[in-house]
Amino acid sequence: MMRREEAKALLDRVVLAARGQEVEVMLGGGSDALTRFANNEITQNVSEHRYVLSVRILQGKKTGRATGNDLSETGISKLMERAANATRFSPEIQELLPLPGPQTYRDVDAFDHETAELGADARAREVGKAVARCREAGLEAAGIYEVRTGTIGDYGEVGPFAIANSRGLFAYHAGTSAEFLVSALEGTASGWAGFESHRANGVDGGALSARAVEKAVRAREPKSWEPGRYTVVLEPAAVADLIQDMSWISFGALLVQEGRSFLSGKIGQRVMGENITLRDDPYHPLHRGSPFDAEGMPTLSTTIIERGLARSAVYDRQTAAKEGRESTGHGLPVPNTYGPMARHLVLEGGDGGVDDLIRKVDRGLLVTRVWYTNVVDPMSVTLSGMTRDGLFAIEKGKVTHAVRNFRFNQSVVQMLNHVEAKSSVESSGGVVTPGLLVRDFHMSSGTEF
Amino acid sequence: MKDLARLALDTAASRGASYADVRAIEFTREDIQVKNGEVGGLDLSDSAGLGVRVLVGGAWGFSATDDLTKAGVERCAAEAVAIGRASASLAHEDVRLAPEPAHRAVWSSTCAIDPFGVPLERKLDLLFRIDAEMRAVRGVKNAESFLSFQRRRQYYLSTEGSDIEQILTRSGGGFSSTAVSSDDVQRRSFPQAEGFHQSLGYEFIESIPFVENARRIAEESVALLTAPQCPPGDHDIILEGSQLALQIHESVGHPTELDRVLGMEANYAGTSFLTLEKKGKLAFGSTIVNLVADATLPHGLATFGFDDDGVEAQRWPIVRDGLFEGYLTSRELAHHVGDGRSRGCVRSDGWHHIPMIRMVNLSLMPGKGSLDDLLADSDGAILMETNRSWSIDQLRYNFQFKTELAWEIKKGKRARLLKNPTYQGITTQFWNSCDFVCGPEEWKPWGVTNCGKGQPGQVAEITHGAAPARFRKVRVGAGYEG
Repeated sequence: MMRREEAKALLDRVVLAARGQEVEVMLGGGSDALTRFANNEITQNVSEHRYVLSVRILQGKKTGRATGNDLSETGISKLMERAANATRFSPEIQELLPLPGPQTYRDVDAFDHETAELGADARAREVGKAVARCREAGLEAAGIYEVRTGTIGDYGEVGPFAIANSRGLFAYHAGTSAEFLVSALEGTASGWAGFESHRANGVDGGALSARAVEKAVRAREPKSWEPGRYTVVLEPAAVADLIQDMSWISFGALLVQEGRSFLSGKIGQRVMGENITLRDDPYHPLHRGSPFDAEGMPTLSTTIIERGLARSAVYDRQTAAKEGRESTGHGLPVPNTYGPMARHLVLEGGDGGVDDLIRKVDRGLLVTRVWYTNVVDPMSVTLSGMTRDGLFAIEKGKVTHAVRNFRFNQSVVQMLNHVEAKSSVESSGGVVTPGLLVRDFHMSSGTEF
Repeated sequence: MKDLARLALDTAASRGASYADVRAIEFTREDIQVKNGEVGGLDLSDSAGLGVRVLVGGAWGFSATDDLTKAGVERCAAEAVAIGRASASLAHEDVRLAPEPAHRAVWSSTCAIDPFGVPLERKLDLLFRIDAEMRAVRGVKNAESFLSFQRRRQYYLSTEGSDIEQILTRSGGGFSSTAVSSDDVQRRSFPQAEGFHQSLGYEFIESIPFVENARRIAEESVALLTAPQCPPGDHDIILEGSQLALQIHESVGHPTELDRVLGMEANYAGTSFLTLEKKGKLAFGSTIVNLVADATLPHGLATFGFDDDGVEAQRWPIVRDGLFEGYLTSRELAHHVGDGRSRGCVRSDGWHHIPMIRMVNLSLMPGKGSLDDLLADSDGAILMETNRSWSIDQLRYNFQFKTELAWEIKKGKRARLLKNPTYQGITTQFWNSCDFVCGPEEWKPWGVTNCGKGQPGQVAEITHGAAPARFRKVRVGAGYEG
């Protein structure tokens, strides 16, 4: 990944190439290497290395952007010309803000050299351990071991790791990540486990696979339960999925200002149970995210829900200006139609593990994770999705047998009013969250497995 | 670029690859958005790079780079080979590629008016006219419209002698109106959710009556705020074409991808209920259900000359007269279903990602009769239009969809406007309940532009042709029963 000095030199050259125009430059990318396995063998094994340079020129209230991956002088020159053309022909945007000046950022220790250097052989060895555990149990292993440096996202989207502008702003953040996910399968019975961190040395493919195997073995011969409202223990991976979906349609200030969020008109009011505190915090040790947003503004740890009270949305400069307040540093590239976005959610947890939650349940369901969640109703944050990779009955504080998967239709706001206990937190799917014991979770229909 | 692709291929072969292919791609894209009278986004982007795929010791390796220097390309090819070696350390059997003749060809999609040559002012003028029409309607909170254009110029070279150049241009656009009350958000979109796209030039944009429909769509979004809730229960439902397109995509397309069937997507997208023994035996749908995969469909989003395995585009039945008949296959996996040749379904979403099985265009063949004929025959049914939400389990049995609006059908006419329609079912039960598919006059090539699959995730675009169709006794309203 490009070092700070290299990135600074490149972005300085781009700003210089603007020849005095107001310009903002973002640099993103890095590398993404992923070993994929299924049926107890490696099936895909890939590595990509790339950078993306995005230039935005401002002329008064006009702005235009051009994005490319040719970092040569010729490439920069072409990029500048295209951005200038786009700006010239763009109509004025009345709410467009001038570029910000230099900012101060917190240091985030997120780059691990060992992780950055991890190669295909090392990934294959770890995958081999996972496969061996499944094979011993007579199961099929499927999963990934992914190692990234920089800002290539899950679907190839690229965020900035460095930003500069013609007013002297410069921001840089280097990060690595490692993720190991494993499913153990026997026909339609399956179990799953996952781990993510900025450091690969925490990955233990054998141990994760053992957890997935344990679930898969228990998942054999599931019984059918009737749809209905159940007390459920949601493991952290399940909670993360639901919270993330809620965030996308709820926590950005533009959504709140436009009346499209359940938080609209509710700031300062009780919206969830008193045991719910939710914030966006890139500085949490399990996140170690970027300390700035796509405008180059410092990202603040922002409390969204505090003991059930709606405290604040997250802001970019434009939505903050509308309310006469400061940005919280959650902006996307300008201009955009989406508004600011929370990217480092932390749901405050409790003590103990998921097993402690299970012990509190007289009759209910243990949900390993959920799948294909989508929004049914944005104002109540009702999501629909499926349980997956291990749905189990809990009876008198113990897991007793597998249950056929359910489709749920559940308001996440209502769910967070029905939380009876929380485990300690872990990072899953980019969210730091505990497992939750929730009453009256709505399972609405069954499926065939 | 082609010289660099050749260099990568030679490097891979010299370092021990028994097979290699290289895709060198130049990609250009223009995205323009207008929201509430202002430009909401304006980005001209391009990228160039190459991806090297190799077989070493019978296992796959892949590396991609945008360092288009001689040293950068050689490094990329060498890394692909090293990765292939690592894969081989944990492989059961050597990958076997189904035979395919070496092709030397140039193929281009149709493009009468180059969208990148159309002045930005003209594009913005169209969007601002749409925007003004929507915002003229009282109660509209957000008026959003967009145009999107992309061109992909790809060189494909393989060690088997294929040398294929393809240029694919696609254009698309759409708009939506959102209305908001204190406890409700309603949206209407045109021509479909996420816009309407085809492999054509700017002439496609000019053929769509965007401005003419903007006011109606905006009015519908506002009317939905006070419309009654779609009643729950078991109802006959009629799905208009664009919603049916997504139904086809999720419940027919994905479960017929052979990599899913064979467990290769088990950790992420899932597997499939369409296991191998069901081919030629399963009554997938009623006898009027005919679904055809077609990479040759004119102007389709998944129309090409050759796939990223170097296999020539084909057309074949997936479901014939209700019977499940075919899979979407690759050179690597075709032999699992006894096929001597791949169906040519391998694509990637760019030079930086490995090719994998992706849906080609997949359409429900038209039946007989107009939509008016269908409505006249459907007293008490619910007509659902334009997707708003979708979800399906990892084996592709249990699905649930929400559409933007619905109409209660009375005496052959649209009677009451209904909001928040959801329907839920089990795939084969649903398709077996189909008893009316409208005719060719109602058939349109709708599209999906946000199909996610793979790790790392890739986004594919696919056309799904469909005419409105009726399904009997479907569970309606489950999304709101909670």
